Amino acid sequence: MIILDLALMLITAYFVGFIYYGLYRNITARFQRRIGPTIFQSFYDSIKFFGKKEAISHGWMFYLGPIIMATGAIMTLFFIPFFYQSESFSGLSGYGNLFLVLYLMLLGPLGNAMGVGVGGNPFGVMGVTRGLTRLFALELPFYIAVVAIMSISQSADIATIAGSQTTINAFAHPLLFIAALFSFVAMMGQSPFDVVGAPVEVYSGPASEFSGKFLSLLMSQSAIFSFAKLVLMVNLFLGGADGFFELLWKTFVLFLFVIAFGAIYGRFKTPQSVDFLIKVPTVIAIVGLIFATAWGN
Amino acid sequence: MDEGFLKEQQVMESDLNSETSHKSSVDFLMDWFRRRSIFVLAYGTGCGAIEMPPTFTSRYDAERLGIRGAATPRQADVIIVSGYCSYKTLRRIIRTYEQMANPKYILALGSCTVNGGMYWDSYNTIKRLEDYLPVDMYVNGCMPRPESILEGFMALQKEIGDGKISSWQKYEDNYAFYRKNQEAVLGQTVAPAYDADWYLYDGGL
Amino acid sequence: MRVLSLIISLLALWGVSTLFGSEAHWQIDMGSFGLEGVVIGLKATALANFFALLIAIGFFSISLIASKYKLSKGFYALLYLLLVSLFLIVYAEDYLLFFVGWEVMSVTTYLLFSYDLSREALIKYIVFALASAMSLLGGIMVLYSASHSFLYTDAHQGFIALSATLQVIFILLMLFAFFIKLGVIGFHYWLMDSYEQSSDFFTPYLSAVLSKMGIYALIILLVYVVDIHMISGTWLAYTLAIMGLLSSIIATFKAVNEDSMKRLLAYSSIAQLGYIVTVLSMADGLGGALYHSLIHTLVKLLLFINIAGIIYMTARSKFSELGGLIYRMPQSFVLLLIGIISLAGMPPLAGFASKFLIYTTLLEGGNLLILSAMLFASASAFLYIYKLIYGIYLGHPTSKRYETIREVPLAFLIPQYLLSLLLIVAGVYPGIVIPYFNTILKELRLETIPFESYTILGSEMASYNGFVLMSAFVGVFVLILLFMLSLRSKAKEAKDRFDIAYCGEVPDEGTHLHYGFSMGKELKRVGFIGVILRNSSSVFYDYISRQLFGFATVFRKLYSGNLSFNFNIAALFALILLWWGLR
Repeated sequence: MIILDLALMLITAYFVGFIYYGLYRNITARFQRRIGPTIFQSFYDSIKFFGKKEAISHGWMFYLGPIIMATGAIMTLFFIPFFYQSESFSGLSGYGNLFLVLYLMLLGPLGNAMGVGVGGNPFGVMGVTRGLTRLFALELPFYIAVVAIMSISQSADIATIAGSQTTINAFAHPLLFIAALFSFVAMMGQSPFDVVGAPVEVYSGPASEFSGKFLSLLMSQSAIFSFAKLVLMVNLFLGGADGFFELLWKTFVLFLFVIAFGAIYGRFKTPQSVDFLIKVPTVIAIVGLIFATAWGN
Repeated sequence: MDEGFLKEQQVMESDLNSETSHKSSVDFLMDWFRRRSIFVLAYGTGCGAIEMPPTFTSRYDAERLGIRGAATPRQADVIIVSGYCSYKTLRRIIRTYEQMANPKYILALGSCTVNGGMYWDSYNTIKRLEDYLPVDMYVNGCMPRPESILEGFMALQKEIGDGKISSWQKYEDNYAFYRKNQEAVLGQTVAPAYDADWYLYDGGL
Repeated sequence: MRVLSLIISLLALWGVSTLFGSEAHWQIDMGSFGLEGVVIGLKATALANFFALLIAIGFFSISLIASKYKLSKGFYALLYLLLVSLFLIVYAEDYLLFFVGWEVMSVTTYLLFSYDLSREALIKYIVFALASAMSLLGGIMVLYSASHSFLYTDAHQGFIALSATLQVIFILLMLFAFFIKLGVIGFHYWLMDSYEQSSDFFTPYLSAVLSKMGIYALIILLVYVVDIHMISGTWLAYTLAIMGLLSSIIATFKAVNEDSMKRLLAYSSIAQLGYIVTVLSMADGLGGALYHSLIHTLVKLLLFINIAGIIYMTARSKFSELGGLIYRMPQSFVLLLIGIISLAGMPPLAGFASKFLIYTTLLEGGNLLILSAMLFASASAFLYIYKLIYGIYLGHPTSKRYETIREVPLAFLIPQYLLSLLLIVAGVYPGIVIPYFNTILKELRLETIPFESYTILGSEMASYNGFVLMSAFVGVFVLILLFMLSLRSKAKEAKDRFDIAYCGEVPDEGTHLHYGFSMGKELKRVGFIGVILRNSSSVFYDYISRQLFGFATVFRKLYSGNLSFNFNIAALFALILLWWGLR
């Protein structure tokens, strides 16, 4: 039964994730006054790469890197419940908690970094270094906000946090939400924090040596992972969801915000983005935390 | 009718289903996807590179056809040889082409890639690109406008969809010929035959 | 000698295991030796047994690699003396024996260091070790002045009886002593050079076990002397929390910038101990502190033995001189990977369990800013963790020699396999040690950790199931692997390491491809991290040493060797004294 549940979660995340990515490309195109590709374009790309006749490999660790990354993304998805009341689509969330999810989110990138490192491409390692540098900066405001939310709900269980919001957290604790949103934009790899895979600077960064099915696996996990992150944000700040319709419109609103944010900004340099993230959103988050704990109750 | 503008016109006007080919259903499906997703290596090899930015950006928007840029040869399906090709560039093009994953295609722009064009007498450019790498589609003009490049892409997409293109196979089969020509102009500076070393290929993981 | 050390380590393990659950107790009144009212004793408490187990595990691990090092008989003798002193520290029932053990440990370590360390590093170590011991002695004397007993059981009464000022002085003296041993940031001046220069055989023990004595001493201080129930909200709690967090954050960023493997791990050690110090600032934090001590001991033994193997094979200890060893030493690579996953606190392995316990404790205690800062330090640790594995195993070899180098000898691999097995088991069964920790906590009359089953760790607020986590992880991993293998698309092996996408160019031996060893340099450009990286506590200590030197110069002027001048000075003093006496 649980296997079926997990499979359905995975399939939903895969397709919704790819359609969101298609929408992302299409909507960005509209921002740039173009027609843009169809919303299934990312799906086509992914299948095409799976069907490439060959893919270069640099040994077993290179082979396993994208697989660990995909495992991390899928595990993150499994430990986040889609709906706060329903038994189905809750995956393994009964066996885990928010701390586990926060760490599982980091597992994939670290695993892939091994693959990138063994690929021997210096541009890939540059991308990884940029990614890890950006990582700790973006985690700081996010962690403060999440910790405050956990403390307000008096639980680290995601379904409980989602269900316990009488006024949704985004309105009840706007400062925390704003701080987390900055981090979320960075987490989704959007401008102005998209330093990791910059194609013209570091040769598309960590992905520079991956071809064919490896690249396709990375694209698929990225779609799944993005959807998992969107669901997590909805659960934490937007009051969770009670059905597919609610889940989809809430995630889409969030996603639309991220796209719109990314479409109008240029790219920060790595030190600039770190500097920004540990100054502005962090201060907002700390103020929010103090408000939430000292005056919130 | 075998070459040049008329051939191109013929390809573009031909119906997609006019020819029946012997393909398995998986191949048919894969060709369908390959045709709709083309990653072009962002590598301007000659003067024609200036036509590529408008092709890919808002004015002509190649992305609506599923054509987009890729940063590294590992991710690319198509490399555009945009115009005249000096020896120095040729070496990089060969290296890049060999690092691309099969199936891969070459789109050649301008008359210089066909017969040297106005660089016929030049001491450091090649004349026929065909001698060094298997070209799938020529787009003529000096330089071809973005509309022409898009037409070239559409013709390429049709051929890919029909499963007719196997230039990479041709390159592998006639490798000795291509290698000889490459060495003739590049001498010792030719890229090591890493990916072209199919005979030693032991399967990998 | 090697076999003897192995036998002794096994004896130590066996001896410690027999003490588990026993109430072994030995006490002697020193009155018969002319010291009226002084009682000293040894007692096998559950807490002492736990730390004794860490000592024994550490000693067992390093005696397995001893066969690869040419160590003199004197070295072995000192090692056994060190072992005895460590057991004396943990089993002591009073501060007198504790001090004796502490002093013997410091001096033995000094003598062991003297085989390898440079003169400067040795002086640094002994100055700090003596300062620590003297400060500890001062603290004990202050306490004794009130309690008139060295026993831990009387210590709390004595502490209460002290005046408020003396309480502060006592705590500061004790903290100073223990912070030096722990290498809390600011007090770590001795630690870096000692870790870097000491024998590769001894460094695992130094990081994994000797630093834990600082934790043990801190726990003794907090539990027996200062009642840990009353600690929350006091300045002591804030001191511990702030010093711990500063250690974690600053040491993490310092570690990123190091080129030497052992220095990087030394900073990592400081950062990890910082977590433990922080969590000890809470009454409920002892469980998390014990769990993290256990995991840190296992992980640091694993990591230091791993790099000891690397140094043994390559004779290089810098990232800039290593690289690309993965396919030459695949077993070492996988073992280091297990180690760093545990060090980072990544979920399927045991590192997550201890960090999770610490986080839930902090969350339940409402220490939200501390929790956020700790999560931040933990996420920043990824940088140096990646640098560690990249610099050694990934990227490109920096020397032709590494293309034919062989796997590390079995003597290095065996302890690593054992330790990583422990880490994996504790990852699948994160609750497996909780019953024993609860015995300790009950004995100390502290709140126990909720315990359901071996696979579940956590409390009401948050819990997770290690078994489900691991099986889901392995299941998903295997499924994706099978999917990838079943695809028609073939994985084509690159012909050699230069077959990389390099902008159409063909790199060769001369191309600088091992990029990542200098990772972290660019962090200097980021505001506050730059401040951390540019400044160093050595500035402060250099200032102190310059001032002392200047002070000594004045004295040297007074005693210049010129007899008549000295005689005149003495006569002047005598006159002044005479005048003062007559008045």
